[in-house]
Amino acid sequence: MTRNNLLLLALFVVLAFVPQIFTDGYVRHLFIIAFIYAIIASNWNLSLGHCGIFNFGHMTFFGIGVYTAAILTKTAGVNPWLAIPACAVTAAISAVIMAAPVARLKGIYVVLVTFAVNQLMVQLVLSQADLTGGAKGLVRLPFLTIGDYSFIRDYKLGYYYLALILLALSTAFLILVAGSPFGKSLKAVRDAEDYATARGISVARTRISVLVLSAIFTGIAGGFYTVYLRVASPEVFGFGTMSLVLSMVLIGGINSVLGPVIAALALTFASEAMAGIGGFEDARYIVIAVAMILVLRLAPGGLIQILERLAPTGQKPATPTRSPA
Amino acid sequence: MDTLLATLVSGLVLGSLYALMASGLSLVWTTLGVFNFTHGALMMVGAFIAWTVSEAAGAGPVAGVVAGTLGAGLIGIVIERLVIRPFYASRNMLLVTAMTTLAVTIILERGAQMIWGPRLKQLPPLVDGEIRLFGNAISAHEALLLVAAPIILIALWRFTVSSKIGRSLRAVGQNQDSAALIGVDVPTAFALAFAISAALAGLTGALLGSIRFITPAMGSEPLTKAMIVVIFGGLGSLGSTAGAAYLIGFIEAFLVLWVGLYWTPFALFLLMILVLLLRPNGIFGKR
Repeated sequence: MTRNNLLLLALFVVLAFVPQIFTDGYVRHLFIIAFIYAIIASNWNLSLGHCGIFNFGHMTFFGIGVYTAAILTKTAGVNPWLAIPACAVTAAISAVIMAAPVARLKGIYVVLVTFAVNQLMVQLVLSQADLTGGAKGLVRLPFLTIGDYSFIRDYKLGYYYLALILLALSTAFLILVAGSPFGKSLKAVRDAEDYATARGISVARTRISVLVLSAIFTGIAGGFYTVYLRVASPEVFGFGTMSLVLSMVLIGGINSVLGPVIAALALTFASEAMAGIGGFEDARYIVIAVAMILVLRLAPGGLIQILERLAPTGQKPATPTRSPA
Repeated sequence: MDTLLATLVSGLVLGSLYALMASGLSLVWTTLGVFNFTHGALMMVGAFIAWTVSEAAGAGPVAGVVAGTLGAGLIGIVIERLVIRPFYASRNMLLVTAMTTLAVTIILERGAQMIWGPRLKQLPPLVDGEIRLFGNAISAHEALLLVAAPIILIALWRFTVSSKIGRSLRAVGQNQDSAALIGVDVPTAFALAFAISAALAGLTGALLGSIRFITPAMGSEPLTKAMIVVIFGGLGSLGSTAGAAYLIGFIEAFLVLWVGLYWTPFALFLLMILVLLLRPNGIFGKR
């Protein structure tokens, strides 16, 4: 187990005790939102950071999850417990559709296509108002319950732990994927495409697989998000949400699992704190955008790189010392 | 027959709009190798500046259009200096500048929201009245857009082909080092290309401001369409980009006729996927 994984484990242990310290619903709400963002950001990092796909359409998977859960629970009357896992399936299907052209494209065209997919989803949601509620969205979705127990009770305790469990599962999944032979082929495709091809790795298949894998938990996060807030609105595909999550990936550090999770927690609370200042409702997005540019300018590896610079991990070769024997 | 002609005219209007948008994107791409996500936001800023000068300050629509064009151009120079130039040496310049320009888009959109507020605004048309085109009445302002777009595109094309400065932009786009060797000032060329592109966006916004409402988010839909245009046409040359813009304009107008307004974005998107699967570098792109 590497140092970063130990840190992650410690983080989760601490987070498991948070509801005992913060008993009011509002702080717990912020944590829940932060966990959801953390899932999206760290999964985005899988395609963007690990495989080097210039994917600007990751929020599509989240939005697909949001609308899958909303339509299933509200219109079709499906139990939310079934609707949330169904989001993994629809998000994965949308990933296959997006990946089909992306697998063969290079550079800027990947950016264009993935971004266009996201924008077109917005237009689709707006235009199919009968199904999606259009610009008004779908509201008052059913509550999440076990038997007679509604998750909204006890100051959102149930939602808190469910979000934390989802984040833990997603993180474990990402660590497993990154550490597997497939995870190494991702890096090969990113860093040396020709070499990867020469060693028998299909670049197209790797790209499709990684997009689908990154969509699974993102879709589930979308389903949980909409079931928790009981609202689905086109905002989820929007520029604002996308840039917030992208800044979490960048500030946290592309190419790490721990970084985006910490950045998601920090930025959610920072953004919420700024929203409390009068007149900062719009300005907070500007602050985050400026922070994103500064990180790209000054510390392209993100926070995780700064941390590692401060305290080198055991994996790096230590300064040579003369052995006593 | 009437419907067909009406559709053609509406396709021509859309095509002109997309051509103006996409040609600016193409200019920055061929010169700097950067995809400028702020292009839609620059268009929006141009429209707001035009509104401020024309309506709030009362200087009239012509002064407004001029101010919108120049204002957007100046902001373009600042953007190039602050978020693009520092990353020229970066290994992942394409990805990094895509992200920084996206961040600037957020700054511009939220900034516009803070400066100009949420109230819907509109510019008066530059020219009043209606014009009959193939038996269809369109507003004189839209007719102006129809005429202005090809003139601007041809002027831009002549500029890059014949003028000394325009040729230096192309030289920089083809090979930075050789261009620098023969005495072209590369940073100035980059700033100039970005400024021209931004001014074009501002002009488009100022013209569009009397057809559509001016809102902080007004740039995102034209930007998406411009992206589809460059996916179809490839980003490589002005000619193919402009051709693709008109093609998309017509396709969109006919799709509205055939599948309805609601399904048009989806049909357009499917078409785009199909084109990409068959020809990954665009219809007019080199293989």
